[in-house]
Amino acid sequence: MKICLLSYRGNPYCGGQGVYLMYVARELVKLGHEVHAVVGPPYPFPMDGVTLHKIDNHNYFNIKKDYIKPDKPFATLHPLNFYEFAVSKMGIFPEIETFSIRAFQKLRELQKVHRFDIIHDNQCLGYGFLLIKLLGVPFVSTLHHPLSIDRSTWFEYPSDFRLKMKRVLYYPLVMQKIVTNRMDRIITVSRDSVRSINESFGTPVDNQRVVYNGLDASIFRPLKGVNKRKNSLIFVGNVEDRKKGIAYLLRALTLTRNRVHLTVVDGGAPNRNFVPRWIDRFGLNDRITFTGKISTERMVELYSEMEIALSPSLYESFGFPAAEAMACELPVIASTGGALPEVVGEHMKTAYVVPTRNPEAIAEGIDFLIDNPKIRRAMGKAARQRILETFTWENAAREMVKVYEEVIGAYR
Amino acid sequence: MPRAKFFGWIALLVSLVLGGLFFYYAFYLTGFRDLNLTALSDYSYYALILPIALVALVILGTGFWIGWTILTIKVAPPMPEIVEKKDFAKVKAFLLCLVTLSLSALFIYGIYLRSYWALAVPAAAVTLVVLGMIFWVGVAIITTRATLPEDKKS
Repeated sequence: MKICLLSYRGNPYCGGQGVYLMYVARELVKLGHEVHAVVGPPYPFPMDGVTLHKIDNHNYFNIKKDYIKPDKPFATLHPLNFYEFAVSKMGIFPEIETFSIRAFQKLRELQKVHRFDIIHDNQCLGYGFLLIKLLGVPFVSTLHHPLSIDRSTWFEYPSDFRLKMKRVLYYPLVMQKIVTNRMDRIITVSRDSVRSINESFGTPVDNQRVVYNGLDASIFRPLKGVNKRKNSLIFVGNVEDRKKGIAYLLRALTLTRNRVHLTVVDGGAPNRNFVPRWIDRFGLNDRITFTGKISTERMVELYSEMEIALSPSLYESFGFPAAEAMACELPVIASTGGALPEVVGEHMKTAYVVPTRNPEAIAEGIDFLIDNPKIRRAMGKAARQRILETFTWENAAREMVKVYEEVIGAYR
Repeated sequence: MPRAKFFGWIALLVSLVLGGLFFYYAFYLTGFRDLNLTALSDYSYYALILPIALVALVILGTGFWIGWTILTIKVAPPMPEIVEKKDFAKVKAFLLCLVTLSLSALFIYGIYLRSYWALAVPAAAVTLVVLGMIFWVGVAIITTRATLPEDKKS
Protein backbone atom coordinates (compact mmCIF):
# COMPACT_ATOMS: atom_id res chain seq x y z
CA MET A 1 0.00 0.00 0.00
CA LYS A 2 1.27 3.52 -0.78
CA ILE A 3 0.53 5.61 2.28
CA CYS A 4 1.01 9.36 2.65
CA LEU A 5 1.07 10.66 6.21
CA LEU A 6 0.49 14.36 6.92
CA SER A 7 1.76 16.12 10.04
CA TYR A 8 1.87 19.90 10.39
CA ARG A 9 4.69 19.53 12.92
CA GLY A 10 6.98 16.61 12.30
CA ASN A 11 9.62 16.65 15.00
CA PRO A 12 9.12 14.23 17.91
CA TYR A 13 10.58 16.76 20.36
CA CYS A 14 8.00 19.42 19.52
CA GLY A 15 5.01 17.51 20.82
CA GLY A 16 2.66 14.59 20.35
CA GLN A 17 2.19 15.02 16.60
CA GLY A 18 5.86 14.25 15.89
CA VAL A 19 5.92 11.24 18.22
CA TYR A 20 2.79 9.84 16.61
CA LEU A 21 4.19 10.33 13.11
CA MET A 22 7.52 8.71 14.00
CA TYR A 23 6.04 5.52 15.47
CA VAL A 24 3.18 5.10 13.01
CA ALA A 25 5.51 5.60 10.03
CA ARG A 26 8.09 3.18 11.46
CA GLU A 27 5.55 0.42 12.10
CA LEU A 28 3.83 0.84 8.72
CA VAL A 29 7.22 0.45 7.02
CA LYS A 30 7.85 -2.69 9.11
CA LEU A 31 4.55 -4.08 7.82
CA GLY A 32 5.90 -3.66 4.27
CA HIS A 33 4.05 -0.54 3.13
CA GLU A 34 5.54 2.34 1.12
CA VAL A 35 5.33 5.34 3.44
CA HIS A 36 5.68 9.00 2.53
CA ALA A 37 5.27 11.87 5.01
CA VAL A 38 4.36 15.45 4.16
CA VAL A 39 5.58 17.43 7.16
CA GLY A 40 5.76 20.96 8.44
CA PRO A 41 8.51 22.42 10.64
CA PRO A 42 10.10 21.55 13.00
CA TYR A 43 10.91 18.65 10.71
CA PRO A 44 11.36 15.04 11.81
CA PHE A 45 14.71 13.29 11.77
CA PRO A 46 15.27 11.01 8.77
CA MET A 47 13.40 7.72 9.23
CA ASP A 48 14.40 4.45 7.58
CA GLY A 49 12.10 3.62 4.70
CA VAL A 50 10.07 6.84 4.95
CA THR A 51 10.25 9.46 2.19
CA LEU A 52 9.92 12.92 3.69
CA HIS A 53 8.38 15.84 1.78
CA LYS A 54 8.95 19.09 3.66
CA ILE A 55 6.58 22.04 3.67
CA ASP A 56 7.84 25.40 4.85
CA ASN A 57 6.11 27.96 7.01
CA HIS A 58 7.16 31.22 8.65
CA ASN A 59 5.79 30.54 12.14
CA TYR A 60 4.57 34.13 12.44
CA PHE A 61 2.38 33.17 15.38
CA ASN A 62 5.28 32.19 17.63
CA ILE A 63 8.12 34.32 16.26
CA LYS A 64 7.44 37.84 17.45
CA LYS A 65 10.47 39.50 15.86
CA ASP A 66 13.08 38.67 13.22
CA TYR A 67 10.43 36.76 11.27
CA ILE A 68 11.78 38.15 8.01
CA LYS A 69 14.18 35.61 6.57
CA PRO A 70 17.25 37.43 5.18
CA ASP A 71 17.45 35.05 2.23
CA LYS A 72 13.72 35.53 1.43
CA PRO A 73 12.90 39.11 2.50
CA PHE A 74 9.73 39.39 0.39
CA ALA A 75 8.26 36.02 1.30
CA THR A 76 5.93 37.67 3.81
CA LEU A 77 4.21 39.53 0.96
CA HIS A 78 3.29 36.26 -0.79
CA PRO A 79 -0.54 35.99 -0.46
CA LEU A 80 -0.64 32.86 1.74
CA ASN A 81 2.25 34.07 3.91
CA PHE A 82 0.69 37.52 4.17
CA TYR A 83 -2.57 35.94 5.31
CA GLU A 84 -0.63 33.88 7.88
CA PHE A 85 1.16 37.04 9.05
CA ALA A 86 -1.98 39.18 9.26
CA VAL A 87 -4.16 36.71 11.17
CA SER A 88 -1.27 35.82 13.50
CA LYS A 89 -1.07 39.46 14.51
CA MET A 90 -4.80 39.34 15.29
CA GLY A 91 -4.26 36.39 17.66
CA ILE A 92 -5.58 33.66 15.36
CA PHE A 93 -3.46 30.48 15.10
CA PRO A 94 -3.08 29.97 11.34
CA GLU A 95 -0.49 27.21 11.19
CA ILE A 96 -2.83 24.29 10.63
CA GLU A 97 -4.94 26.11 8.07
CA THR A 98 -1.98 27.26 5.99
CA PHE A 99 -0.32 23.85 6.32
CA SER A 100 -3.44 22.24 4.89
CA ILE A 101 -3.37 24.54 1.85
CA ARG A 102 0.35 24.03 1.29
CA ALA A 103 -0.14 20.28 1.74
CA PHE A 104 -2.76 20.37 -1.03
CA GLN A 105 -0.30 22.12 -3.35
CA LYS A 106 2.40 19.57 -2.49
CA LEU A 107 0.08 16.56 -2.82
CA ARG A 108 -1.17 17.73 -6.20
CA GLU A 109 2.43 17.50 -7.42
CA LEU A 110 3.23 14.25 -5.60
CA GLN A 111 0.09 12.53 -6.77
CA LYS A 112 1.26 12.81 -10.40
CA VAL A 113 4.27 10.65 -9.54
CA HIS A 114 3.30 8.46 -6.61
CA ARG A 115 -0.45 7.72 -6.90
CA PHE A 116 -1.06 7.21 -3.18
CA ASP A 117 -3.58 4.60 -2.05
CA ILE A 118 -4.48 6.57 1.05
CA ILE A 119 -3.69 9.88 2.75
CA HIS A 120 -3.63 9.92 6.56
CA ASP A 121 -3.54 13.23 8.42
CA ASN A 122 -2.68 13.68 12.07
CA GLN A 123 -5.01 16.25 13.75
CA CYS A 124 -4.58 19.11 11.28
CA LEU A 125 -8.04 19.31 9.70
CA GLY A 126 -7.59 22.61 7.89
CA TYR A 127 -9.75 23.96 5.08
CA GLY A 128 -7.12 22.88 2.54
CA PHE A 129 -8.23 19.30 3.18
CA LEU A 130 -11.46 20.01 1.35
CA LEU A 131 -9.26 20.64 -1.71
CA ILE A 132 -7.24 17.48 -1.05
CA LYS A 133 -10.53 15.55 -1.10
CA LEU A 134 -10.93 16.68 -4.70
CA LEU A 135 -7.83 14.64 -5.63
CA GLY A 136 -10.03 11.55 -5.24
CA VAL A 137 -7.68 9.70 -2.89
CA PRO A 138 -9.15 8.02 0.23
CA PHE A 139 -8.44 10.41 3.07
CA VAL A 140 -8.55 9.72 6.83
CA SER A 141 -7.51 11.77 9.80
CA THR A 142 -6.47 10.98 13.33
CA LEU A 143 -8.26 13.27 15.74
CA HIS A 144 -6.93 12.75 19.26
CA HIS A 145 -9.60 14.95 20.83
CA PRO A 146 -11.68 17.97 19.84
CA LEU A 147 -10.03 21.29 20.69
CA SER A 148 -13.24 22.43 22.35
CA ILE A 149 -12.02 20.47 25.39
CA ASP A 150 -8.77 22.48 25.52
CA ARG A 151 -10.84 25.64 25.38
CA SER A 152 -13.24 24.57 28.13
CA THR A 153 -10.51 23.44 30.51
CA TRP A 154 -8.62 26.66 29.82
CA PHE A 155 -11.69 28.66 30.83
CA GLU A 156 -11.83 26.81 34.16
CA TYR A 157 -8.81 28.73 35.42
CA PRO A 158 -8.81 32.34 36.52
CA SER A 159 -7.89 34.80 33.79
CA ASP A 160 -9.03 38.14 32.43
CA PHE A 161 -11.15 39.22 29.48
CA ARG A 162 -8.19 39.87 27.19
CA LEU A 163 -6.78 36.35 27.71
CA LYS A 164 -10.19 34.75 27.28
CA MET A 165 -10.72 36.66 24.05
CA LYS A 166 -7.36 35.44 22.77
CA ARG A 167 -8.29 31.86 23.63
CA VAL A 168 -11.62 32.04 21.79
CA LEU A 169 -9.78 33.28 18.70
CA TYR A 170 -6.92 30.80 19.06
CA TYR A 171 -8.76 27.50 18.68
CA PRO A 172 -9.96 26.80 15.11
CA LEU A 173 -13.06 24.92 16.23
CA VAL A 174 -15.39 25.91 13.40
CA MET A 175 -12.85 24.86 10.76
CA GLN A 176 -12.09 21.55 12.46
CA LYS A 177 -15.79 20.77 12.86
CA ILE A 178 -16.48 21.42 9.17
CA VAL A 179 -13.47 19.43 7.95
CA THR A 180 -13.84 16.53 10.42
CA ASN A 181 -17.30 15.81 9.12
CA ARG A 182 -16.04 15.62 5.55
CA MET A 183 -13.24 13.10 6.08
CA ASP A 184 -13.69 9.52 4.84
CA ARG A 185 -13.00 8.22 8.32
CA ILE A 186 -11.85 9.62 11.65
CA ILE A 187 -9.32 7.55 13.56
CA THR A 188 -9.25 8.36 17.24
CA VAL A 189 -7.29 7.05 20.19
CA SER A 190 -9.89 6.05 22.76
CA ARG A 191 -13.57 5.30 23.19
CA ASP A 192 -13.88 8.43 25.28
CA SER A 193 -12.54 10.48 22.35
CA VAL A 194 -15.21 8.97 20.09
CA ARG A 195 -17.82 10.26 22.51
CA SER A 196 -16.15 13.70 22.81
CA ILE A 197 -15.83 14.10 19.03
CA ASN A 198 -19.43 13.07 18.57
CA GLU A 199 -20.58 15.54 21.23
CA SER A 200 -18.43 18.47 20.08
CA PHE A 201 -18.41 18.09 16.31
CA GLY A 202 -21.46 15.92 15.72
CA THR A 203 -19.32 13.35 13.89
CA PRO A 204 -21.29 10.08 13.74
CA VAL A 205 -19.86 7.30 15.91
CA ASP A 206 -20.07 5.00 12.84
CA ASN A 207 -17.59 7.19 11.00
CA GLN A 208 -15.00 6.91 13.77
CA ARG A 209 -12.61 4.05 14.51
CA VAL A 210 -10.62 3.61 17.72
CA VAL A 211 -6.94 2.78 17.26
CA TYR A 212 -5.15 2.99 20.61
CA ASN A 213 -1.78 4.67 20.67
CA GLY A 214 1.21 2.51 21.36
CA LEU A 215 4.17 2.82 23.63
CA ASP A 216 7.76 1.74 23.11
CA ALA A 217 8.13 -0.59 26.10
CA SER A 218 11.74 -1.30 25.17
CA ILE A 219 12.54 2.35 25.94
CA PHE A 220 10.10 2.86 28.81
CA ARG A 221 11.10 0.01 31.12
CA PRO A 222 12.06 -0.44 34.77
CA LEU A 223 15.81 -0.01 35.28
CA LYS A 224 17.57 -2.49 37.49
CA GLY A 225 19.83 -1.36 40.33
CA VAL A 226 18.27 2.09 40.67
CA ASN A 227 17.37 3.05 44.24
CA LYS A 228 13.95 4.55 44.87
CA ARG A 229 13.86 7.96 46.56
CA LYS A 230 11.68 7.83 49.65
CA ASN A 231 8.26 9.51 49.33
CA SER A 232 9.01 10.70 45.82
CA LEU A 233 6.36 11.63 43.26
CA ILE A 234 6.67 12.50 39.59
CA PHE A 235 4.47 14.53 37.27
CA VAL A 236 5.27 14.69 33.55
CA GLY A 237 3.56 17.26 31.36
CA ASN A 238 3.23 20.89 30.43
CA VAL A 239 2.33 22.57 33.72
CA GLU A 240 0.72 25.50 31.91
CA ASP A 241 -1.63 23.22 29.97
CA ARG A 242 -4.83 23.69 31.95
CA LYS A 243 -6.00 20.18 31.03
CA LYS A 244 -3.23 18.64 33.12
CA GLY A 245 -4.84 19.60 36.43
CA ILE A 246 -1.62 20.66 38.14
CA ALA A 247 -3.48 23.11 40.45
CA TYR A 248 -5.37 20.21 42.02
CA LEU A 249 -2.15 18.25 42.45
CA LEU A 250 -0.44 21.19 44.19
CA ARG A 251 -3.40 21.58 46.51
CA ALA A 252 -3.26 17.81 47.23
CA LEU A 253 0.37 18.12 48.32
CA THR A 254 -0.74 20.41 51.14
CA LEU A 255 -3.18 17.74 52.36
CA THR A 256 -1.01 14.60 52.56
CA ARG A 257 -0.06 13.11 55.92
CA ASN A 258 3.31 11.99 54.55
CA ARG A 259 5.81 14.66 53.61
CA VAL A 260 6.30 13.98 49.89
CA HIS A 261 8.54 15.54 47.26
CA LEU A 262 7.31 16.15 43.71
CA THR A 263 9.53 16.16 40.63
CA VAL A 264 7.98 17.95 37.67
CA VAL A 265 9.23 17.15 34.17
CA ASP A 266 8.04 19.97 31.94
CA GLY A 267 9.13 22.15 29.05
CA GLY A 268 11.36 24.46 31.11
CA ALA A 269 11.22 27.82 32.87
CA PRO A 270 10.16 30.05 29.95
CA ASN A 271 6.94 28.04 29.71
CA ARG A 272 5.93 28.62 33.32
CA ASN A 273 3.62 31.43 34.27
CA PHE A 274 0.87 30.60 36.75
CA VAL A 275 2.38 27.56 38.42
CA PRO A 276 5.27 29.29 40.30
CA ARG A 277 2.70 31.68 41.80
CA TRP A 278 0.50 28.79 42.94
CA ILE A 279 3.51 27.02 44.46
CA ASP A 280 4.28 30.18 46.47
CA ARG A 281 0.66 30.47 47.51
CA PHE A 282 0.53 26.84 48.72
CA GLY A 283 3.94 27.16 50.46
CA LEU A 284 5.44 24.26 48.49
CA ASN A 285 8.72 25.81 47.36
CA ASP A 286 10.94 23.29 49.17
CA ARG A 287 8.90 20.27 48.05
CA ILE A 288 8.92 20.63 44.28
CA THR A 289 11.76 20.28 41.78
CA PHE A 290 11.44 21.24 38.13
CA THR A 291 13.72 19.38 35.75
CA GLY A 292 12.94 21.37 32.61
CA LYS A 293 13.43 19.56 29.31
CA ILE A 294 15.29 16.28 29.73
CA SER A 295 16.22 13.38 27.47
CA THR A 296 14.05 10.28 27.25
CA GLU A 297 16.87 8.27 28.88
CA ARG A 298 16.89 10.63 31.88
CA MET A 299 13.11 10.45 32.09
CA VAL A 300 13.24 6.65 32.24
CA GLU A 301 15.87 6.93 35.01
CA LEU A 302 13.64 9.34 36.89
CA TYR A 303 10.65 7.00 36.61
CA SER A 304 12.82 4.27 38.13
CA GLU A 305 13.90 6.55 40.99
CA MET A 306 10.35 7.61 41.90
CA GLU A 307 7.73 5.80 43.97
CA ILE A 308 4.50 7.18 42.47
CA ALA A 309 3.52 8.91 39.22
CA LEU A 310 0.63 11.34 39.07
CA SER A 311 -1.72 12.13 36.24
CA PRO A 312 -4.47 14.36 37.68
CA SER A 313 -5.65 15.59 34.25
CA LEU A 314 -9.05 17.13 33.74
CA TYR A 315 -9.00 15.54 30.29
CA GLU A 316 -6.70 13.23 28.31
CA SER A 317 -7.52 11.75 24.93
CA PHE A 318 -4.99 9.02 25.74
CA GLY A 319 -2.49 10.02 28.43
CA PHE A 320 1.06 9.20 27.33
CA PRO A 321 2.73 10.22 30.62
CA ALA A 322 0.54 7.80 32.59
CA ALA A 323 1.21 4.99 30.11
CA GLU A 324 4.98 5.68 30.13
CA ALA A 325 5.08 5.57 33.92
CA MET A 326 3.11 2.32 33.87
CA ALA A 327 5.55 0.81 31.39
CA CYS A 328 8.31 1.66 33.88
CA GLU A 329 6.47 -0.34 36.58
CA LEU A 330 5.51 2.81 38.44
CA PRO A 331 2.11 2.89 40.17
CA VAL A 332 0.05 5.75 38.79
CA ILE A 333 -2.54 7.88 40.54
CA ALA A 334 -4.72 8.88 37.63
CA SER A 335 -7.90 10.88 37.45
CA THR A 336 -11.02 9.82 35.58
CA GLY A 337 -10.44 12.64 33.07
CA GLY A 338 -11.22 11.62 29.49
CA ALA A 339 -9.62 8.34 28.41
CA LEU A 340 -7.32 7.93 31.41
CA PRO A 341 -9.43 5.13 32.96
CA GLU A 342 -9.31 3.29 29.59
CA VAL A 343 -5.53 3.51 29.58
CA VAL A 344 -4.63 2.93 33.22
CA GLY A 345 -7.16 0.15 33.75
CA GLU A 346 -8.78 -1.09 36.91
CA HIS A 347 -8.67 0.87 40.17
CA MET A 348 -6.39 -0.74 42.80
CA LYS A 349 -5.16 -3.32 40.28
CA THR A 350 -3.21 -1.51 37.58
CA ALA A 351 -3.62 2.05 38.92
CA TYR A 352 -5.13 4.16 41.68
CA VAL A 353 -8.02 6.02 40.08
CA VAL A 354 -9.44 9.23 41.57
CA PRO A 355 -12.20 11.61 40.44
CA THR A 356 -11.14 14.73 38.53
CA ARG A 357 -10.79 18.07 40.37
CA ASN A 358 -10.49 16.33 43.72
CA PRO A 359 -7.34 17.22 45.69
CA GLU A 360 -8.55 15.31 48.78
CA ALA A 361 -8.81 12.07 46.79
CA ILE A 362 -5.35 12.61 45.25
CA ALA A 363 -3.87 13.20 48.73
CA GLU A 364 -5.60 10.07 50.04
CA GLY A 365 -4.17 8.05 47.13
CA ILE A 366 -0.65 9.36 47.76
CA ASP A 367 -0.82 8.47 51.45
CA PHE A 368 -2.29 5.04 50.71
CA LEU A 369 0.43 4.10 48.24
CA ILE A 370 3.23 5.55 50.40
CA ASP A 371 1.96 3.53 53.38
CA ASN A 372 1.61 0.29 51.37
CA PRO A 373 4.85 -0.51 49.53
CA LYS A 374 3.75 -4.07 48.66
CA ILE A 375 0.59 -2.89 46.92
CA ARG A 376 2.65 -0.21 45.20
CA ARG A 377 5.07 -2.74 43.76
CA ALA A 378 2.32 -5.16 42.69
CA MET A 379 0.42 -2.32 41.05
CA GLY A 380 3.56 -1.27 39.14
CA LYS A 381 4.12 -4.77 37.79
CA ALA A 382 0.46 -5.17 36.76
CA ALA A 383 0.63 -1.77 35.09
CA ARG A 384 3.58 -2.74 32.88
CA GLN A 385 1.87 -5.99 31.97
CA ARG A 386 -1.21 -4.05 30.86
CA ILE A 387 0.88 -1.78 28.62
CA LEU A 388 2.71 -4.73 27.04
CA GLU A 389 -0.56 -6.50 26.29
CA THR A 390 -2.65 -3.59 25.04
CA PHE A 391 -0.66 -0.58 23.92
CA THR A 392 2.02 -1.32 21.34
CA TRP A 393 2.73 0.60 18.15
CA GLU A 394 2.72 -2.67 16.25
CA ASN A 395 -0.90 -3.26 17.28
CA ALA A 396 -1.69 0.35 16.42
CA ALA A 397 -0.25 0.03 12.90
CA ARG A 398 -2.11 -3.24 12.23
CA GLU A 399 -5.40 -1.69 13.33
CA MET A 400 -4.69 1.36 11.21
CA VAL A 401 -4.12 -0.77 8.11
CA LYS A 402 -7.53 -2.38 8.71
CA VAL A 403 -9.10 1.09 8.69
CA TYR A 404 -7.19 1.99 5.49
CA GLU A 405 -8.44 -1.18 3.78
CA GLU A 406 -12.00 -0.46 4.85
CA VAL A 407 -11.86 3.08 3.44
CA ILE A 408 -10.10 2.07 0.22
CA GLY A 409 -12.67 -0.71 -0.20
CA ALA A 410 -15.48 1.82 0.00
CA TYR A 411 -13.87 3.80 -2.87
CA ARG A 412 -13.80 0.80 -5.21
CA MET B 1 21.59 50.14 0.39
CA PRO B 2 20.92 46.37 0.18
CA ARG B 3 18.21 45.37 -2.28
CA ALA B 4 15.98 43.91 0.46
CA LYS B 5 16.03 47.13 2.48
CA PHE B 6 15.26 49.11 -0.64
CA PHE B 7 12.12 47.08 -1.26
CA GLY B 8 11.25 47.35 2.43
CA TRP B 9 11.23 51.14 2.00
CA ILE B 10 9.12 50.74 -1.13
CA ALA B 11 6.52 48.65 0.78
CA LEU B 12 6.49 51.23 3.53
CA LEU B 13 6.11 54.19 1.17
CA VAL B 14 3.48 52.49 -1.00
CA SER B 15 1.33 51.70 2.05
CA LEU B 16 1.68 55.28 3.31
CA VAL B 17 0.88 56.84 -0.07
CA LEU B 18 -2.11 54.53 -0.71
CA GLY B 19 -3.38 55.16 2.82
CA GLY B 20 -3.04 58.91 2.30
CA LEU B 21 -4.77 58.78 -1.10
CA PHE B 22 -7.60 56.73 0.35
CA PHE B 23 -8.09 59.19 3.18
CA TYR B 24 -7.91 62.17 0.82
CA TYR B 25 -10.41 60.88 -1.72
CA ALA B 26 -12.75 59.05 0.64
CA PHE B 27 -12.99 61.65 3.39
CA TYR B 28 -11.12 64.94 2.83
CA LEU B 29 -12.46 65.59 -0.65
CA THR B 30 -16.02 64.98 0.51
CA GLY B 31 -15.53 67.52 3.29
CA PHE B 32 -16.32 64.82 5.87
CA ARG B 33 -19.97 65.12 4.91
CA ASP B 34 -22.45 62.32 4.58
CA LEU B 35 -23.29 62.00 0.90
CA ASN B 36 -26.54 60.46 -0.14
CA LEU B 37 -26.08 57.69 -2.63
CA THR B 38 -29.67 57.59 -3.84
CA ALA B 39 -28.50 58.87 -7.22
CA LEU B 40 -26.91 55.48 -7.81
CA SER B 41 -29.04 52.80 -9.40
CA ASP B 42 -30.04 49.91 -7.13
CA TYR B 43 -27.68 47.54 -8.94
CA SER B 44 -24.70 49.91 -8.72
CA TYR B 45 -25.33 50.57 -5.06
CA TYR B 46 -25.68 46.91 -4.08
CA ALA B 47 -22.68 45.93 -6.21
CA LEU B 48 -20.65 48.26 -3.97
CA ILE B 49 -22.30 47.69 -0.64
CA LEU B 50 -22.75 43.91 -0.66
CA PRO B 51 -19.06 42.90 -0.48
CA ILE B 52 -18.41 45.65 2.04
CA ALA B 53 -21.41 44.63 4.13
CA LEU B 54 -20.30 40.99 4.04
CA VAL B 55 -16.83 41.83 5.37
CA ALA B 56 -18.16 44.28 7.97
CA LEU B 57 -20.79 41.86 9.25
CA VAL B 58 -18.29 38.97 9.41
CA ILE B 59 -15.97 41.16 11.53
CA LEU B 60 -18.78 42.37 13.78
CA GLY B 61 -20.18 38.85 13.95
CA THR B 62 -16.79 37.54 15.06
CA GLY B 63 -16.72 40.16 17.82
CA PHE B 64 -20.21 39.15 18.92
CA TRP B 65 -19.30 35.44 18.82
CA ILE B 66 -16.24 36.05 21.04
CA GLY B 67 -18.36 37.91 23.58
CA TRP B 68 -21.16 35.36 23.41
CA THR B 69 -18.73 32.44 23.90
CA ILE B 70 -17.18 34.04 26.99
CA LEU B 71 -20.62 34.89 28.29
CA THR B 72 -22.21 31.47 27.82
CA ILE B 73 -19.42 28.89 28.13
CA LYS B 74 -20.24 26.41 30.89
CA VAL B 75 -17.22 25.24 32.85
CA ALA B 76 -16.43 24.16 36.41
CA PRO B 77 -15.58 27.19 38.58
CA PRO B 78 -11.88 27.65 39.38
CA MET B 79 -10.53 26.27 42.65
CA PRO B 80 -10.97 29.17 45.16
CA GLU B 81 -7.36 28.80 46.38
CA ILE B 82 -5.94 29.90 43.02
CA VAL B 83 -8.23 32.85 42.36
CA GLU B 84 -6.14 36.02 42.69
CA LYS B 85 -8.54 38.75 41.63
CA LYS B 86 -12.16 39.22 40.66
CA ASP B 87 -12.85 38.33 37.04
CA PHE B 88 -14.95 40.89 35.14
CA ALA B 89 -14.69 39.00 31.85
CA LYS B 90 -18.42 38.27 31.67
CA VAL B 91 -19.32 41.95 32.14
CA LYS B 92 -16.88 42.95 29.41
CA ALA B 93 -18.15 40.13 27.18
CA PHE B 94 -21.69 41.43 27.62
CA LEU B 95 -20.51 44.92 26.63
CA LEU B 96 -18.73 43.50 23.59
CA CYS B 97 -21.96 41.77 22.50
CA LEU B 98 -23.88 44.98 23.02
CA VAL B 99 -21.38 47.14 21.09
CA THR B 100 -21.14 44.73 18.14
CA LEU B 101 -24.91 44.34 17.97
CA SER B 102 -25.40 48.12 18.09
CA LEU B 103 -22.79 48.71 15.40
CA SER B 104 -24.37 46.03 13.21
CA ALA B 105 -27.80 47.63 13.63
CA LEU B 106 -26.35 51.07 12.88
CA PHE B 107 -24.57 49.73 9.82
CA ILE B 108 -27.69 48.03 8.45
CA TYR B 109 -29.69 51.20 9.08
CA GLY B 110 -26.99 53.17 7.22
CA ILE B 111 -27.31 50.79 4.27
CA TYR B 112 -31.06 51.25 4.33
CA LEU B 113 -30.63 55.04 4.24
CA ARG B 114 -27.95 54.72 1.55
CA SER B 115 -25.58 56.69 3.72
CA TYR B 116 -22.08 57.31 2.39
CA TRP B 117 -20.64 56.51 5.84
CA ALA B 118 -22.01 52.96 5.74
CA LEU B 119 -19.84 52.47 2.67
CA ALA B 120 -16.81 54.54 3.62
CA VAL B 121 -16.18 53.56 7.25
CA PRO B 122 -15.96 49.75 6.78
CA ALA B 123 -13.99 50.23 3.53
CA ALA B 124 -11.59 52.54 5.38
CA ALA B 125 -11.19 50.06 8.26
CA VAL B 126 -10.38 47.13 5.97
CA THR B 127 -8.10 49.16 3.67
CA LEU B 128 -6.17 50.71 6.52
CA VAL B 129 -5.71 47.36 8.29
CA VAL B 130 -4.32 45.76 5.09
CA LEU B 131 -2.08 48.76 4.37
CA GLY B 132 -1.03 48.81 8.02
CA MET B 133 0.08 45.18 7.73
CA ILE B 134 2.09 45.97 4.57
CA PHE B 135 3.65 48.93 6.42
CA TRP B 136 4.50 46.58 9.30
CA VAL B 137 6.16 44.09 6.92
CA GLY B 138 8.08 46.97 5.32
CA VAL B 139 9.40 48.09 8.71
CA ALA B 140 10.34 44.48 9.54
CA ILE B 141 12.26 44.13 6.24
CA ILE B 142 14.12 47.38 6.87
CA THR B 143 15.04 46.54 10.45
CA THR B 144 15.85 42.85 9.98
CA ARG B 145 19.49 41.70 9.94
CA ALA B 146 20.98 42.04 6.49
CA THR B 147 23.47 39.19 6.67
CA LEU B 148 22.70 35.56 6.09
CA PRO B 149 23.41 33.03 8.81
CA GLU B 150 26.43 30.84 8.03
CA ASP B 151 24.40 27.71 7.22
CA LYS B 152 22.34 29.61 4.64
CA LYS B 153 25.49 31.01 3.01
CA SER B 154 26.91 27.54 2.54
